[in-house]
Amino acid sequence: MNPDSPIIEIQNLSRRYGKLDAVNGLSLTVRAGKCYGFFGRNGAGKTTTIKCLLNLLRPDAGGVRLFGLDPRRDEVAVKARLAYVPDMVAFYPWMTVRDTLEYVASFRRHWNADIEADLLTRFHLDPQQKSSHLSKGQRTQLALIGAICPEPELLVLDEPTSGLDPIVRREFIETVIGAYQSGDPGRRTVFVSTHLISEFEGLIDEFTIIDKGRNLLTMEADAARDQFRKIRVRFAELPAGLDLSGTLKVKQNGREMEILTNGNSAPLLAQLKSYAPEELRCEALSLEEIFVASDLLPKAAA
Amino acid sequence: MLLQIDFKSGKPVYLQLVDQIRYAAASGGLRTGEPLPSIRPLAEELRVNRNTVAKAYAELESQGVIETIPGKGCFLKESQSPFTKSARQKILVKEIDEAVVAAHHLQVDREAFLALVKERLDSFERKVKDKADND
Repeated sequence: MNPDSPIIEIQNLSRRYGKLDAVNGLSLTVRAGKCYGFFGRNGAGKTTTIKCLLNLLRPDAGGVRLFGLDPRRDEVAVKARLAYVPDMVAFYPWMTVRDTLEYVASFRRHWNADIEADLLTRFHLDPQQKSSHLSKGQRTQLALIGAICPEPELLVLDEPTSGLDPIVRREFIETVIGAYQSGDPGRRTVFVSTHLISEFEGLIDEFTIIDKGRNLLTMEADAARDQFRKIRVRFAELPAGLDLSGTLKVKQNGREMEILTNGNSAPLLAQLKSYAPEELRCEALSLEEIFVASDLLPKAAA
Repeated sequence: MLLQIDFKSGKPVYLQLVDQIRYAAASGGLRTGEPLPSIRPLAEELRVNRNTVAKAYAELESQGVIETIPGKGCFLKESQSPFTKSARQKILVKEIDEAVVAAHHLQVDREAFLALVKERLDSFERKVKDKADND
């Protein structure tokens, strides 16, 4: 494989369920060593996309490549290099934690037993416990151990922390950063789909927001926070003739306004300032706020 | 030295770390020879990407603020700056310009701004002095 080829390359991917276009011409690229966020509302096509990556579903059009390979043709070679944690994890109920990990490890060429021991301790998991007796949080922790110990080049996470308590969620993210990412940072790529965007905020290098199966917005996180701004302004008296064209959203309450912008906040700030406001503040939107605001972005015609 | 990230500032996360560590170094929050937190625990604690912390440390190293001693970690360097005076001032001008723009937007006029700068300088010098007295 060409060492510079992207870890994930999705091109014009389409997948229909009957008449429903679950994914409709989606393209995105994930480079090695990045943590890539994949955001979208329920039913936007996130899980369908991930299933196409894992060759659990066949695309109707377009295609996906992982590590430069076609997951349909080179399924084993691709799967040997990635691990996947879905939102609902299921294990064989008669197996203990220890049996489950041995079973998972038996499919892997490489298994880091030190990480396994560390994480079992960290999560307070009892190796003799039957997997059917584990809580949802513990099952996710077990799945995460199973995903990290092979030290794969790509970790695919689909809503991994939904339905978990805040402490387990926190530990989950810390484990992804610590146990997974620190191993060999240039060869540790994360692709995470989640609604709990604020918890993953610090981890995300770049993201795509998907809407109705299409790519609505792809940006680097730092650039996005620089571009999307919330401006709060209060005047002694609301000036006539304010030009707010090109802004995303304006909320007005008497002589106060809250304005969302997508780029070009400097000329707007200068204009507001020329009316001598009593107060003027400008802050960045968080990724979660950007996700909410993305609903206001112009959408490609269906 | 305690670090924190503010996603609302709109400033790249690694630069926030760089600025805070430089501030800690300048204000005595971090002393010459004192180790910086290791990348992994710091990234876990702040819950930011490991690469972001590594990038901040690389930037600090290239600025000559810290040095990496293999097998031991990163340390704050002797305070003699490797930069020439003009290079150091150039770095500062960028930051002053940011503050000037912010003052403009917040309608803090020239006198008030200069008074504020003087007040902060005094406060900083007091802190450095207290620190020295306590040692």
